[in-house]
Amino acid sequence: MKTVANAAVLQQPALNKKKKNFQPANIVLWVLLSFLAVLQIFPLIWLLDFSLASSNEMFTSGLLIWPKQIRWDNYVSAFVDGHFLLYFRNSLFINVLAVVLVLLLSVMLSFACTRMHWKLSGLVKGLILLGIMIPIHATLLPNYVIYDRLHLTDTLWALLIPYIAFSLPQGLFLTSGFMESIPREIEEAAMIDGAGIYRILFQIITPMLKTSLVTVSIMTFLNNWNEFMMASTYLSSPKWKTLPFSVLEFTGMYSSNYAVQFAVMALTAAPMVIIYILLNKQITRGVAMGAVKG
Amino acid sequence: MKKAYSNKAIIFSLVFPGILVFIFAILAPICLSVYYGFTNFSGIGSYDMIGFKNYIELFKDEAFQVSLRNSFLLAVGFICIQHPLAIITAAVLDKLGRHAEGFFRCVYFLPNVISVAVIAYLWKFIYNPSFGLLNNIIKLFGGKGDFNWLGSGSAIWSVLVVLIWHGFGWGMLIYYTGIKNIDPSLYEAAAIDGATNRTTFLRITLPLMRPVIQVNVTLAIISALKQMETVYLLTNGGPGNETQFMANYLYKQAFSSFRYGYGNAISVIFIIVCILATQVLNRVFKQDEGVAA
Repeated sequence: MKTVANAAVLQQPALNKKKKNFQPANIVLWVLLSFLAVLQIFPLIWLLDFSLASSNEMFTSGLLIWPKQIRWDNYVSAFVDGHFLLYFRNSLFINVLAVVLVLLLSVMLSFACTRMHWKLSGLVKGLILLGIMIPIHATLLPNYVIYDRLHLTDTLWALLIPYIAFSLPQGLFLTSGFMESIPREIEEAAMIDGAGIYRILFQIITPMLKTSLVTVSIMTFLNNWNEFMMASTYLSSPKWKTLPFSVLEFTGMYSSNYAVQFAVMALTAAPMVIIYILLNKQITRGVAMGAVKG
Repeated sequence: MKKAYSNKAIIFSLVFPGILVFIFAILAPICLSVYYGFTNFSGIGSYDMIGFKNYIELFKDEAFQVSLRNSFLLAVGFICIQHPLAIITAAVLDKLGRHAEGFFRCVYFLPNVISVAVIAYLWKFIYNPSFGLLNNIIKLFGGKGDFNWLGSGSAIWSVLVVLIWHGFGWGMLIYYTGIKNIDPSLYEAAAIDGATNRTTFLRITLPLMRPVIQVNVTLAIISALKQMETVYLLTNGGPGNETQFMANYLYKQAFSSFRYGYGNAISVIFIIVCILATQVLNRVFKQDEGVAA
């Protein structure tokens, strides 16, 4: 911590120096930075703006509309006809369950593969890590047939199983890397105190994996929350449909009422945006750790 | 002590659930794909085994070649446009300090947390010929502004823009973290020696970021190969097959053209291409490290 503080102090004069001999390059960089920021954020502002207008106002030549009257009723239609509450609840339930199960299975697998003594440990770990390379959409066709035969389409399992399976390789990778760095002496001491394997795993090792478990949770949640290809292939009744369906179904229903379509898009995006703003630091760290997975 | 760690029942209980899920959702489907890839199954009714016919057809299939070309174009777009911008942005961002830094980082990453469904429909509206944002901007500068962005000829470029736009923040964030991990004393030393920003960037940041760049480039190429969802909603591969990608093409063959067997053959090749690309890239970069050391 101290060195970081020192570094910050030391960098200060360098920064001042930069300001003194102000280079035109700095202005260029600022312009670039701001330009990219506008590029990234303006479509979202446009979305929000149009969602509060009425459809008739859209055919103007200006970039943004100053609505004569803010049309909150667009959001009411979006909320009710987009089945927002049901789909949001489904999304939340399926994703939280997937995260919990991915964490549990990853911890169990990586403990078995890094700590326990058995012949096939290397093979099993290698096989599951191979899953990182498998494109998720290549399994859409065969899985559809499998779920159809087993009468799993339109059930919770049709989403939960593939969501877990495709997050597991990364979960195993992240937790096993971390687990290898935990010294074995801790377990030996617990063993002498009479703790069994399960107790060692869940009460001693798992709490120590906190950082990588947070990363696994964030990556699993981010990957699956916005998923809709599998959902729209395996589901046909609204019972387990997830949040992206609010948008997908709406285009047909309100094909000419554009303003309401904008509202449903803004509404669907809102939960994740709010979560991101609240957990900004954790998500940033999680993505950075999770993405560099080799 | 040793005995407990080689207890077969405990090992089985720890490994079995994970393995079961993996086999059921990934391994078994792949085997099934290989099987159906040798058939002319339409999706319903009976079918025959037709050997390698699907694969022979696939290698002559123009739409499949277009899919590969599009993945290649997307990868080039990622590497030549998105990543240079991302790495420069990350380097500049790193020097900003507290509030501005956090604000910009947040703004750049925001599109990434929004569902692809929303992003794809949003861009469909941006490209809309009659009230879309893009044509309105052109009108603002005195142009006619009635261009059909998703029409024949321009569609693939419009799709590439969306994908490069959407993934920018993700790449930027990884570079940004990489730069944060560089020892600050190196920058201090450079500042004392009177190095300009540009020299510091070229001589310190870029060389030290080499491993991060390699990982990021690998991920970019793989994601260019795997692209499906945005294209599915934006153009569904059209007009014709101009904006086709492998994953979208196999889906279209199976569920719209009712050529389930052929779709599975594409799935198999799709998996092979992805694994091959990952292996080749890893090997190339590993060799590269050996040379550098």
